Parts: sequence; C-alpha cells; structure tokens
Amino acid sequence: MLLSLNWLRDYLAKSDIKIDPKDLADKLTMRGIHVAAIKRPSFSLENVVVGRIEKIEKHPNADRLQVTKVITKAGENVEPIQIVCGAKNIAEGDIVPIALPGSILPGDFHIKHSTIRGVESFGMICSGKELGISEDSEGILQLPKHSGIGQPLTSLLGGGTQDTVFEFELTPNRNDCLSVMGLAREIAPVLKTKLREQKPAKFKITPHRTSSIIKVEVEDQNVCPRYVARVIDGLKVQESPDWIKQRLEAVGIRPINNIVDITNFVMIEYGQPLHAFDLRKIQSGTIKVATCKAPTDFTLLSGESIGLETGDILIQDGDRPIALAGIMGGENSSIAADTTSIVLESAAFVPTQIRRTAKRLALHTESSKRFEKGYDLAVVAAASERAASLLRDSMNANVYHPPIDTNEFGAKEAVISIDMRDVRKITGLKEISAETASELLDSIDIPSHKKSVNILSVRLPTHRQDLKGNVDLIEEVARLAGYDSIPEHLPTSLATYERLDESHFDFEFKAKTLCCSMGLRETIHYSFVSESLLKNFGCAHDQMVSLKNPLSDEMKVLRTSLLPSLLQTYSYNLNRKVKHQRLFEAAKTFTWDTKEETQVKETPYLAGLLSGNLSGSGWKDKPIQLDFYHVKGLVEALVRQLTSVKLAFEATKNTTLFHPNRSATIKLGLKEIGSLGEVHPIIRDSVLETDEPVLLFELNLEALKKYERTTTRYKTPSKFPAIEIDLAFVVEKTVSCHAVLENMKNTGGELLTDVSVFDVYEGESIGPSKKSMAFHLTFQSLDRTLQDNEIQELKNRILTQLKEKHGAELRA
Amino acid sequence: MIEQINQIRAEAHSQIFSAPDPEALDRLRVHYIGKKGILTGLLHQLKDLTPDKRREVGAVLNDVKTHLEQDLKQRQTELKRVVLDKELAASAPLDVTLPGSYAINTGSLHPISRVMNDVVQILKRIGFSVVTGPEVELEFYNFEALNTPENHPARDMQDTFYINPPVLLRSHTSPVQIRAMKDKNPPIQVIAPGKVYRSDYDLTHTPMFHQIEGLMVDEHLSLADLKGVLNYLIKNLFGSRSLRFRPSFFPFTEPSAEVDMQCIQCKGSGKDCRLCKATGWLEIGGCGMVHPNVFKAVGYDSEKYSGFAFGMGIERIAMLKYGIDDLRSFFENDVRMLEQF
Repeated sequence: MLLSLNWLRDYLAKSDIKIDPKDLADKLTMRGIHVAAIKRPSFSLENVVVGRIEKIEKHPNADRLQVTKVITKAGENVEPIQIVCGAKNIAEGDIVPIALPGSILPGDFHIKHSTIRGVESFGMICSGKELGISEDSEGILQLPKHSGIGQPLTSLLGGGTQDTVFEFELTPNRNDCLSVMGLAREIAPVLKTKLREQKPAKFKITPHRTSSIIKVEVEDQNVCPRYVARVIDGLKVQESPDWIKQRLEAVGIRPINNIVDITNFVMIEYGQPLHAFDLRKIQSGTIKVATCKAPTDFTLLSGESIGLETGDILIQDGDRPIALAGIMGGENSSIAADTTSIVLESAAFVPTQIRRTAKRLALHTESSKRFEKGYDLAVVAAASERAASLLRDSMNANVYHPPIDTNEFGAKEAVISIDMRDVRKITGLKEISAETASELLDSIDIPSHKKSVNILSVRLPTHRQDLKGNVDLIEEVARLAGYDSIPEHLPTSLATYERLDESHFDFEFKAKTLCCSMGLRETIHYSFVSESLLKNFGCAHDQMVSLKNPLSDEMKVLRTSLLPSLLQTYSYNLNRKVKHQRLFEAAKTFTWDTKEETQVKETPYLAGLLSGNLSGSGWKDKPIQLDFYHVKGLVEALVRQLTSVKLAFEATKNTTLFHPNRSATIKLGLKEIGSLGEVHPIIRDSVLETDEPVLLFELNLEALKKYERTTTRYKTPSKFPAIEIDLAFVVEKTVSCHAVLENMKNTGGELLTDVSVFDVYEGESIGPSKKSMAFHLTFQSLDRTLQDNEIQELKNRILTQLKEKHGAELRA
Repeated sequence: MIEQINQIRAEAHSQIFSAPDPEALDRLRVHYIGKKGILTGLLHQLKDLTPDKRREVGAVLNDVKTHLEQDLKQRQTELKRVVLDKELAASAPLDVTLPGSYAINTGSLHPISRVMNDVVQILKRIGFSVVTGPEVELEFYNFEALNTPENHPARDMQDTFYINPPVLLRSHTSPVQIRAMKDKNPPIQVIAPGKVYRSDYDLTHTPMFHQIEGLMVDEHLSLADLKGVLNYLIKNLFGSRSLRFRPSFFPFTEPSAEVDMQCIQCKGSGKDCRLCKATGWLEIGGCGMVHPNVFKAVGYDSEKYSGFAFGMGIERIAMLKYGIDDLRSFFENDVRMLEQF
C-alpha cells in the first residue's frame, strides 16, 4: 500500500500540519503500521529538466542503443546535447525528462558525463520509474507537448509541491489500512490531530430512481452481503482533472479516464473497490450476483480469456456473466470511449471465495487484494456516494437517486467487554487503568466506556473487522501504549520445570562434533533433489516421496539417501580444484510408510564422503591413498564414541552405488543400519568423472540412538602382568578376519583380554587361494600372575580350534 | 679395615670425577667394583671377621659400593653430555617454520549448525528443553491448530510445499509447539530447532531454511517475560545490543511482535547503512503471546494459563554474525566457504 502524504492531508483536521516523514514513519512502524520505505517522487531531481528530442540516429556500435540530440534549454539557436539512449518508445519531437550530469536519481544513482560503447553521452533520458514518480519502467516518460523546454521537471510535477509517499508493509489483519482513510485514522493521533469531518454527499431524489432503470438480484446474501448499484448518466469519457491524476500516479496507479480514475480514487481513499458497467451493455435490465454453476470461458476487460469454475462469484446481465466479482470486470460490459451512462457498483463479497478464485487464476488486482481480506458493510454505501458525488461534481453528471441497496441496515457494531486484569496479565503493563485504555482506543475511533473499575465496554467499529475477541483489544491497548513501555524480566519460575526427554538434537550434535574432530566438514543440502540424481547414484526406489508443487524438477523428490547430494557436492568442489575432500551431513531421509501419521517415514542419517590422501598433501610423510579400511576405521571410531554397541560388517551384494568388492553393509544385530565403501568404478568414471577413489559411509542415527552411550562402567585394570604373544596363520582367502577373531576369543575366554590383527599377507609363497594373517594376543588375569604353562595350553587350544574350524595352519 | 675402606672411597671418588672419557670410567668401574675389583675383594675378606665386626664392616662396604655406583653413573652422564653437546653443536636446527604434519585435515561445523547450537545452549541455560518434530507435517499442526484455518489470509504469508494434502513440508517450526503441548500439560518450556520449507527461491529466499522456535506456558507469563527471554538470548549471542519489539501479526500469537535488533554494522545510526537499509534496525524474528485459539486446539485452559512463543531464522542470524552476504551460499557447500568455520 502506497500513501501520498499530500493525499493524507485531505483527511486531517489540520491539513497544513508539519510532518517529519522519517519521524512519522518510525512512530507508525512502532505502532504496527510498518512503513517499509519512504519515497520522495521529486526528491533531488534538481538537474532534471524538460527536453525535446531533435534527432535520433542508430548507435554505430550497438544495435539496441540510439544516439539522440536533445535541446535542454529555452530559447533560439540552442546547441543540442548528445545523449545515448536504449529506450524504444522515443521519436523525434518528443518532450521528455532529461537528467543532466550532476543529477541524483532515486536509488542514489548519480548521472555523469560518460562514454557508452565509444559514443559520448551527456546525461540520460528518463523513464518514470527511474525518476521515482511512477512504477512504469516500460519506456521513457512522455511529458505534455506544451511543457516549457529547459524548465526543471519538478515544476511540472504538481507545481513544485514536494510530495512524500510512504510504502507500507501491512499485516494481513489490517485491511482497514489499505485506504487513505484507514491510514489517516492511525496517523491522526500520532500527529496529535484529528480526522477531518467528512460531509456526506447530498443528492436530490430524482424522478428516475436507479430502480426504475435496472434491477439487482442477489442469489445468496452469504456470498454477497451487500450490493449498491447506482445509475449515472450524462457522462463524457475524458481525461481526469490533474489533481486526481497526480494523486493516483503518486500511489502508482496509471490514470485511464475520468470514470475509471474516480472508481480507483475512491478505492484508494475508502478501501472499497468499485466497478463501473456501461449501462448500454446491461441488456436484460437485471444485474444478478450469482456463483458460477458450470465451467465456462470468459474474457476480462484486460482482454485476457479465463476459465470460470463452479463457485466463482459472477456479476451477470441476466444469465450472461459481465464481471468476475471483486476481481475484474468483463470486456463485454466495460467503459468505452463513447460511454455516457454507467451502473456504478459498490459491493461486498465473501472473502474466501474471492481468495480462491484470485489465487487459482493468479489474478491479484487492487480490488481482489482488498476483497480477499474482508469488507466493511458500512463503507460499501459510503464509497458509492463518494464516487457518485465526484462524478457529479467533476463533470456535471446526473446521479439517479436513491440507489439500489440490497442491505441497507447491513452494518452492525458489536459490543464486548474487556477486563483490565486480563490486559495487565497478558501485557505485563501492571499499572494500566481502564481510563488510559479507553483513551488509547478512542484515539483510533474505537469508542468505549468504563463499566466498573476493571471492566471496559467497547464498541467494535465496522471498519475494524479484525477485532473480534478480548485478546484483539488487549493487543490494541498494548500496541497503542507502545511495546517499549512494557517492562522486561526473565521468567521467575524456571527451576520448577522438569526437563523433557532430550530429543535427537543432542545425539546428532554429538555425532557432528565427532565427525569434525575426525577431519570432516559439515555440509547442508536441500532435502529435495531431482529424481535423476537419485537414479544416477542408485538411490531411486518405488517408495520415494515427491512434492506435489515442486519449484523445479531439480527439487522434486525427497532424499532417500544423503549420499547423492554429497557426491554432487564432491563434483562441485572438484570442479573448483578442491582436493582431499572430507565431507559429512546429518539430515533426514524420507520414504513412504503407511504406519506413519503422515504416511511418510523420516529417518535421521549421518553420511560422509572422503577422497584423496589420508594425510593431505604433506611435505613430510608419504601420501597414503584413502581406502575402504580408513572409512571403516572412521565409522568404528564414531560408533564407539556414540554408542555401546559393536557393529557387524558384511560384504555388500548387488549394489549400484558401491564397488562390489570394496564395500560393506553395516549391521546392528540383524538390522541393516548403513553402508560404507568405495564408489563403483563405473559411477566414478562416468558420473563423477574422476580417477581417484571416492569413499562413502552412511549410518542410521535413529537406530544408533537406541544404544546411545549414556554412561560408562569402570573396570579396574589388572595389577598382574600381561603376557603377549604373536601368532600368524595361513587360511583360505574366504575365511574372514572376523571369524578368526571370534574363534580365538571364544577359545581364549576371559584370560585373552585383547587380540588384534597386525599383518595380512597374500602372495605366491603361500599359494594363490591363501592369505596369512598375524595376530597379537594379550593374556592377563585379574587375580593372579599367569604361568607359562597356562599360556602354552591356551595357545594350543586356540591353534587346535582354528585348525578345526577354519583350517588355519600356524605359520612358521 | 674401615679406615682402609674410607680411603679407597675418597681415592675412587676423585678418580671417577677426573676420568676423561667413558673408557677410562669403565676401567675405574672394573678396578673398584668389578668382579675382581678392590671392593669385591674386601667383601670376600669379611668371612674372616667376627660376626659383630662383619656386620659393621659389611654395612660400610655396601654403603661405599652404593656411593661409588652413584658416582660412576653421575660421571657417565656428565661425559655423555659433553659428547652430545659437541654433536648437537655441530648439527643444524630443524626448519621450525615448516608446517606441522599432525592432523593436517581439520573438520568444521556448518555455520548453520554452529549458530543453531549456540542458540540452543543459551536457551538451555535458562531452562528450555529441546524438542523436535517431523519435517513432513499435517495441515492440522502446521496451520489449523495454529489458528490459521483454510483460506486465512495468513496462509499467503507462507507458500507451502505439499506432498499430498493434508500432508505437507512444514513451513515453520511452530507445529512442534502444538505437538509439545499435546504431549504435556503446563508448565512447559521448550525450544524446537529444525529445517523448514517454503516455495520461494530468490536472492533472499531459499526453499529450505532453518528456524528455532521457543514456547513457554505457565500461570503468570506476560509480554514482559517474553521480552526478557529474547533480550537474554540476543545479548548472549551478539553481545550488548538493544532490541525493539514492533507490533505485528501472526495468527497463532496475540499480541504479536516483530523483534528488531540494533544494526550490528552502523550500530543503530542507520547512516548510509546497506545492511539495515538505513533504518538502524535488523529484523531477527517474530514472537507473541500464545493465542487463546491455539490453547483451545491443544486443550489448555486459557483462563488459567498464558504463554509466549517466538521464532527466528537461523540463516539470518548466521549471516549477521559471520558477515555472509549471500543466503544461497549456505547450501552450495563450497569447501572454500565451509573451511572458514
């Protein structure tokens, strides 16, 4: 919503009151009427003058540019200046605004003498938008032909009076402020003045009443609670008077003709959209407000053809639609150059349907913007009178009085009581009295009277449809008293609150910190990706969840795995020559699951990607290429810190993403909780287009959270000496390290306190199908020093068992 | 005999400390305490003495032997030191300016995570507990229970991604309030951090971003408590900065306010400041007293209880805190950006 302060003054009791725009804007903002910007249409336009284009030639070096010669001074034999211009709507002889070097246009745009593509330019020919005086940036602003060449542009704009325009960012509850009147109501008390009394327009009752010309039928009062129609004739379509045009232009509305301009003027003034039909085109003599019963096509006055759907509110000439109610009129009933008689419509329509229709058609007009937020039944009639009187007074038109009004007693004011104890409780304004509250409300035309010390009876004016219950008035009082006046303190009763079960947040944060400590950088990706990304990396499946209204195909499918995004980021960084990438992300994955309330199962995951060397590009140590076991070590360390469980790793089968021989499924008991390994060589070559191995891991954090390590049981270290022995075996390659270890642990019992593998060897000397594994065993007892023969015996049992179960031969 | 022993000791002591090199020292060791050394020889003679004398002399002998061993060790160290000093003096020091080679790769938390955690930790200190909710939500929690029925103009404030009505991607963290209140009776004091989604993508909007939501309900809470909590948060997050509370509108709170923080760049003067668009203030969140209709939706008694809620965008805070000027850079995951945190 734009407000011209000059326009505002018409509604203030003291219209010449001094206004400091910045101060007023700040105060309004602090009252919840947010001023987003202050525009001064003719501000700093000192070096902008009226000029005449003498000559236009093509720019020698640029197709889209033209070189003009422009006269910018009054008098005979004036030397034209050269200006390069990109606009298309100019012709020789045009009168246009010229910003000479030294002028400063809105947006702190300094005009200087410059050379554009090799041609000198001594200023700029301006559009209305560049000058900040209209929203129209389409082309150069065309000035009236008779304007004096060389005079400052400001003298042309409202005779030098400087207007200021406020741009408001209003909250959706304050539709009353979508009008000069509504804003004046809020502004008057800030400026310590009152609203000017508006004299109701007086009309003579004419022999031909509106009802003797046309009829109005409203199909359903719930859809159209009030409809006021007035016939006006004796009109002549022409330009509006300057003062109307200036006001409209100041708030960004393009003047069209006197009839349309006046309906727009009253809409901005009162917040009530109006519409004018050409009376000739109401052939049936009956205006009918009805909802659309069957889909049909309709052409708007803008020329655009739309599809009407059942439920859309229509204004009909009999059964023929002539307007999309509250949004835009139809081409078939619009004002034409030769229109002399009109039906002026002022009405209220049910906001929800206007919203639905406007949203469906993406038709957000000044009218629909207002209607979809609500209406004031009282102003429906007032606006009609105002427009009629403006038409009558400005062009001597004949107003058929009285009008047709489908709901003359429509506007009712409700009365509610508020308890000051509630006001004090909610606002924290402990001292506020009923008198103060009453004064505050009264200042913005909300009348009230005190019923008792603490009870205030408040009449809710029709223009404040947002006020319904007590809490709405509590907010009004707080807002008008000023939030600044509310004290502040921390809540006092904190200690009594029990802590709720800690959520996933802490566990996830712990996992993230651990990843960082292991050298990984956290990334955050969008939760939605393209289906092809998931497909490329083998993560697409039939349980994928898609958005119904995605922004694009790139952001359509909710992630089934975090790995594709990490791989995409890997490529992004690789293209920027980032080596040795180490990335992770903690986020949710999504799949269909009918067991869930939303039908979608969300699972928090932790995923990582590693590439390059273990030790980076060190100068000292030999680089070690990262491999499967590095990632596995990382995953093991992570899980060891986070939980009290041991993971199992099984070779992965049938995977598209992972290398078939260098990847594993991570299991917790029987449940798969993740995977890790090297990216499949085919993906590496053809999708990632890199020749280094890329390693990945992904872990289900929800599953791990169940085994979160919350506490630790301390074990006293043994006071007795430990005995360490090394054993090396030759086994078939198919025998897993895990199997051998488990076997040794079972046989060794509690005296075998630690066993670890320290060497693995494959080679011709032991046979092509064999491998050798060397283990380091530690024996220790908590209650005695172990004897050599005990160890010997245990060792023998271990050897026997291994040989029996896994055919392991002790290596000499 | 004891006299003899003491004489040997004195003699040995001086010889040991004048030994010129390790070899000479070793000869002295053999000479005095070796298998055939003087002291060993004397030890063998003990058996000829009376038991009393034997004990007396034996003790002295042992004592002398211990002392000589200590002397030998001490001299040995001294001699080694001489050799080592020569060697060290002869060799060049390391180039200590070469980069360290331990743990070259250090990781980093994403700026969003850092800020989110900062906010969580600050609010935990004043009694808030963390709760989380689903990102895929039902219209009921995202809108209806938050006093935003269908066709409410406020639904336009947020363009929502739908999976399949009424299932959507939550457009704010406020639905977690509803879930928390449905879970637990008052008093309640929770924060809900997380991802939210809106169908908007331009310079200042990304279709996914992060919010943190706070909710407190008890018997005597007012706007004054809300102001206190938010001031505490911002002071701890940004240092001493003044806040202003500007009346606003949210369907689920009333009275409602926008929270503005004094601009961190121009310190509130607004002069030529691009960051705050010359207003001197930066919007950092929305808040208000819980609307009675919200209490009604979760079955709380709005006569007895009052409460406040607040929400803020984490990206916004991170941009201000770290001077990041492009919102979209948070989700590009350029390592050159990530490694700065």
